[in-house]
Amino acid sequence: MKVSYRWVRDLAPGLELTTSEAAELLAARGAPVEEAIDLGTGLGDLVVGKVLEVGPHPGADRLLLCQVLGPEGPVPVVCGAPNVQAGMHYPFAAVGAAIPGGIRIGRRKIRGVYSEGMLCSERELGLGEDHDGVMALSGELAPGEPLAAALGLDDTRLDIEVTPNRGDLLSHIGIARELHPSGQSSLRLPPFPGDTGLDGVSTARAGDSCESAGVRVSIEDPELCPRYMAAVVRGVAVGPSPRWLADRLRAAGARPICNVVDATNYVMLELGQPLHAFDLSALGGGSIAAGPARYGESIATLDGEARSLREGMLVIRDSERPVAVAGVIGGIDTQVSASTVDILLECALFGPAGVRATRKRLGISTDASYRFERGVDPTITETAIRRAAALVLAVAGGEIDGAVVDVNPSPWLAPTVALRPSRVGRVLGVGFALAEISELLAPLGYKVEPGDADQLEVSVPGHRSYDTLREVDLIEEVARMRGYDTFPDELSRFVPGPVPDHPLFALEDAIRAALVAEGLSEAQTPALASPEHGDVPLRNPMTREESFLRRDRLSGLLGHLERNLARGVRDVRLFEIGTAFAAAAGEGAAPRESARVAVAMTGRTAPLHWSGAADAFDLFDAARVLDLIGREAYDGARLVPAPVGSAPPAYLPDRCLALVAGEGDPVGWGGEIDPVALDLPRWAGVVVGAEVELPESPSARPAVAVREVPAHPASERDFAFAFPADVPAGAVIDAARQAAGELLEALEVFDLYEGSDLPEGTRSLAIRLRFQSLERTLTEREVRDACRRVLGRVKEETGVEPRG
Amino acid sequence: MIDEASRLEADALAAIAQARDHAELERIRTLYLGRRDGLVSGLLRGLGRMSPEDRPAAGAAANALKVAVAGALKRRSVEIEPSAALARPAVDLTLPPRRRWRGSVHPVSRAIADIWAIFRSLGFTRVRGPEVDTEWYNFVALNTPLDHPAADEQDTLYLASGMLLRSHTSPVQIRTMEEYAPPIRIIAPGMVYRRDTYDATHTPAFAQIEGLVVDESATFVDLKATLAEFVRRFWGPAAQVRFRPSFFPFTEPSAELDVKRVLEHSDGRREETGWLEILGAGMVDPAVLENVGYDPERYTGWAFGMGAARVALLRHGVADLRTFYENDMRFLAQFA
Repeated sequence: MKVSYRWVRDLAPGLELTTSEAAELLAARGAPVEEAIDLGTGLGDLVVGKVLEVGPHPGADRLLLCQVLGPEGPVPVVCGAPNVQAGMHYPFAAVGAAIPGGIRIGRRKIRGVYSEGMLCSERELGLGEDHDGVMALSGELAPGEPLAAALGLDDTRLDIEVTPNRGDLLSHIGIARELHPSGQSSLRLPPFPGDTGLDGVSTARAGDSCESAGVRVSIEDPELCPRYMAAVVRGVAVGPSPRWLADRLRAAGARPICNVVDATNYVMLELGQPLHAFDLSALGGGSIAAGPARYGESIATLDGEARSLREGMLVIRDSERPVAVAGVIGGIDTQVSASTVDILLECALFGPAGVRATRKRLGISTDASYRFERGVDPTITETAIRRAAALVLAVAGGEIDGAVVDVNPSPWLAPTVALRPSRVGRVLGVGFALAEISELLAPLGYKVEPGDADQLEVSVPGHRSYDTLREVDLIEEVARMRGYDTFPDELSRFVPGPVPDHPLFALEDAIRAALVAEGLSEAQTPALASPEHGDVPLRNPMTREESFLRRDRLSGLLGHLERNLARGVRDVRLFEIGTAFAAAAGEGAAPRESARVAVAMTGRTAPLHWSGAADAFDLFDAARVLDLIGREAYDGARLVPAPVGSAPPAYLPDRCLALVAGEGDPVGWGGEIDPVALDLPRWAGVVVGAEVELPESPSARPAVAVREVPAHPASERDFAFAFPADVPAGAVIDAARQAAGELLEALEVFDLYEGSDLPEGTRSLAIRLRFQSLERTLTEREVRDACRRVLGRVKEETGVEPRG
Repeated sequence: MIDEASRLEADALAAIAQARDHAELERIRTLYLGRRDGLVSGLLRGLGRMSPEDRPAAGAAANALKVAVAGALKRRSVEIEPSAALARPAVDLTLPPRRRWRGSVHPVSRAIADIWAIFRSLGFTRVRGPEVDTEWYNFVALNTPLDHPAADEQDTLYLASGMLLRSHTSPVQIRTMEEYAPPIRIIAPGMVYRRDTYDATHTPAFAQIEGLVVDESATFVDLKATLAEFVRRFWGPAAQVRFRPSFFPFTEPSAELDVKRVLEHSDGRREETGWLEILGAGMVDPAVLENVGYDPERYTGWAFGMGAARVALLRHGVADLRTFYENDMRFLAQFA
């Protein structure tokens, strides 16, 4: 909401706050000022100059020599503007003054004549586009007075953030009420230039329909339109608004259009009541009614759009057709134009929900709909139409025909709300005396009376009647008016609740810490993705790239890995913890969400070092990370080669491992990423990745069951097995492990060899077995027996024998 | 006996000082410390014949003697041949150490973790909820009718089914209250979604942290005090807090909390920021309590919510929110 602070002050005599004090108070009341603009910026040095004489310039045909009366006696000023006239007032920059843009005026010889100042055009002052001549000033002016004051620009425009519950602040009077220390009771509407009032004009009141000046006004749907007032003004001269009115609107950030429209906008900005002016001659059949649109109707609206209306939308109609969308926008056929002579002024109350539904359906928002949606003061209607009509008369001439019509089926009654001071203390934590509550609420227009028992009866003013209808709403008003900062901030005792800390958070934290320790950097990628990466579409996406919910997390991470490589970052190690979405199981069901950990790595396994080059990441680094996440997330998780045909498409099928926990499908995958699907620079190496679905509700880890640390020495034996390519190393290792028995303390695979000295298609695997007993030092014989069992079992299960 | 010990010590130290090679040192070691015939060993054996009163002092003296002689032998040995260590090849100690990659926590996660740490110490636990939810949980139960302008403020992403991506973490409040009876004292970190396009201050998906307290005695003063305590712990004791009225459909009274920070620059200069809006809060609206079957006459509550990315943005002086989501290794690695 943009307001002219000068306008606000005009409505609240005695309001003495500076603009910055006002901004602070507004923030403390819940309506922070986003921007305060000094409207006179750059005009500080300029004054009103009166041209006393205009004569020809002795040395130039196209220049004039004027005598200008400014802050001091008359001075000679050379001027090139054709419109300059003796006796008129113009913006004047005397010697030494700066004009907007920073140019400083000096004493200058122009074609042999000294010029001691400059008369300015609108454009030179940044006030408009007109550069054809100097800017003529009108009104009562004194030579030498500051120009900003003469133009009404000694003002500040406040751009105020108004929350949706504060429709009462969408007007100058609402802001004035909030700022003035005694609020409501000190507000007044000052007369404007030419204000004759409408004292002689009566109001014709009726319940559902009323005729005046040959126009029948009626309400067909009192739910959507509780009140409709109208006035006929005949004989207006449509034209530009007088300067004061145009300046006022501009100061409040509005654009002047023409005098009649400006008058309605003025009253809307002042009182928060939207009004509309119809060209009476364009209304058919001498009637106007607020009622529902009928099937198949449409209207061409002021913004030039042809809009088809839904049945039931509230419209204003003449005897034949809709002429306005009620509370939203007028029709183009009935708008006020240069040729308009008679007008019908509309000043009505439209319900918030109806206006909102209609304007959403039509896809527009106007100053009027914005206010109606947030609630327009039901007690201001008559004041507003009378002020608007008087203003039309003052700025466009004409006269009121007949009475002001007021169709008001069920006159508004102020709601009363019971307020218990004990409850105020209970909610706010600070006790309030009855008198204090009254004092805090009165400036906003609430009437506080003692009620039954220990409670107050609070009568709610119209402008707050949309927001404060419950006790708790009044409690907020009390807190707000007292000022939030006046409440103490003392911590009190608390009782812990029964809600457990969700175990998935702790698991995520543990995995995050483990991956960070592995040298990975946590990334965050959006869950919104293009259709290729999701199974759950959005109904109202913004772009195709964000039109689905991501089915996995690895794909997003790989995109960021690509981006890093594209920027020349060669070593990339990213991980992410986030949600993946699978299609819903049935119609109307929610998509299945799962917490995922994804990893993507490429480059070297360690930074370069003088002691030796680091390896590049490969499949077995992915396996390590997959194993690490598996150990954190699942009891007894293990890695297995991905069964044929099961690897997710991101991986090379023969370079993919599955993470298996218990029965059922794998809970994770890891391996070498298929480079075909990636957009990689030529120099890029192997990219590996992994992704694990975390359990929905991980069980707490059991306490570690400690094993005794062996005190007796261990015996180690190394074996090398040469075996054909079709025997997996895992089979040899598993057989060895099982056969070694309980004396086996560790099994390590320390070499894999595929040399030319081995038979074609044969590999050699070196294994170290470490035997140890808790009770005693093992005898040579025990170790030998264990080794014999190992070799026997390996041969039995895989056919592989140790090398020489 | 004690005199004897000091005499032996003087003799031994003198002999050690004059020794010229290891062989001589070894002879001295045998003479004094030899297990069988060593002079010091003999002295120790003599302890057994002493009276119990004299024995502790004498024993201590004999042991001190033994330690002194052994130490002197070792020092003299190094003096005679300083080399045992230096005979190894020289190492250039200015070479860089062997390093591993350092991982890093994302700044937004870090903000969440630090916020959680503070609220954990204030008795809160963490809860989660689904990211796809219904209009009931996201709006209606939270006292936000769909035909109220407040529903516009958070332009919402919908699925074809009519479900929606939660536009705030507040649905978790409802789900928690449905499941548990008061007292409630929770925070709910999680991703939320809005129909926003990417710019310096908006992203369509972002992390939010919600907090909720419901109890028989929860008041506005508690809300203010707890959040002010949070601010001082998170932003430092010099941070100033400002509460001002605001509007959220699910709280009444509603508040917004601004922080004024004192930045300490590396050159020691201190700079005060303007008021920075960091969170919204308020007393839980009685209508919300009613919607979950709590008696609003018996229970009161307060709640707050903040954007973790915004907190991280202010904390690290990042100008553009998008920086957090580019996931450039060179950016992320700074948080190692």
